[in-house]
Amino acid sequence: MNALHDKHLVRGVDHAAFPTFDPVGTVRFYRDVLGFPVVHSICAAGWGPEKHPDFIHFFFDIGNGDRIAFFYYFGLEPLPGGRGDAYAQFDDDVPEFFLGSRHLALSVESEDSLNEYQRRLDDSEWATEMRVQHETIESIYTHDPNGYIVEITRALRPVTPQEDVDANLTIDALVDVVSRGDASIHALLNRKAELIVERSDDWDTLLAQPEATS
Amino acid sequence: MASVYFLDVPENRPVVEVAERSQQVHVTKNGPYFEISAAEPFEIDRRATGARHAVWYSCVAGIRGFRIAGWDKNSLRFEIQS
Repeated sequence: MNALHDKHLVRGVDHAAFPTFDPVGTVRFYRDVLGFPVVHSICAAGWGPEKHPDFIHFFFDIGNGDRIAFFYYFGLEPLPGGRGDAYAQFDDDVPEFFLGSRHLALSVESEDSLNEYQRRLDDSEWATEMRVQHETIESIYTHDPNGYIVEITRALRPVTPQEDVDANLTIDALVDVVSRGDASIHALLNRKAELIVERSDDWDTLLAQPEATS
Repeated sequence: MASVYFLDVPENRPVVEVAERSQQVHVTKNGPYFEISAAEPFEIDRRATGARHAVWYSCVAGIRGFRIAGWDKNSLRFEIQS
């Protein structure tokens, strides 16, 4: 056991990487429309045991020193398929909510900042498709040139300690009901109520030391 | 007595306040949760709460002894679990 064994050590996103078949559109969208600086790129000849194509790996700054990155493979044709994005293609029978569930959300600090990104998108060919106030955040959405869903969001208020406690309780309940083969929202809410009662004597401790920040 | 739990966050308070108007419910606090207890069915009307839909459809934290008999854009109904 070392001194770091129970520490939460990661510091955010170094980079999230996606393939692209449209590097021109990708650069226009992220650099020219959104104004994300290019901060790194690797130009590499294909090599190795597989027939790896020559490629460019390029990065945009998404704030905080975090980055979004793309791979463009020279000579690689888009994969066959109907719906989806540059990475994943789906048949018509896959529901839209499922396609929309995978996305990247970037954060901004204020309503003014969110409005500014909406303006930049709306002045481009990738106009804002939706603006929604969720439970505690407000978000705008569009699809980038590769079909990836990009969300930009602001917090409507700070997250409170009780929400971290509730989130941990929800996840404990989820693991319990799915593990026992009883996956439904009703089973989950019943299990959560049991956990609320079980932990009723420990609220002071739980709220003082939320698990999410340990 | 059956119970429904709502997390105490600003968005949920109007939901709890509207529920509390029902004569048959009793509201207490259990740590970070409001605990609404009742011996009979009750209903909450979203329009009276002013809750937007994202809040409305995620406001329930737990249910004990109740079942959710209906949850649509304007009505959330709890019945005693048989």
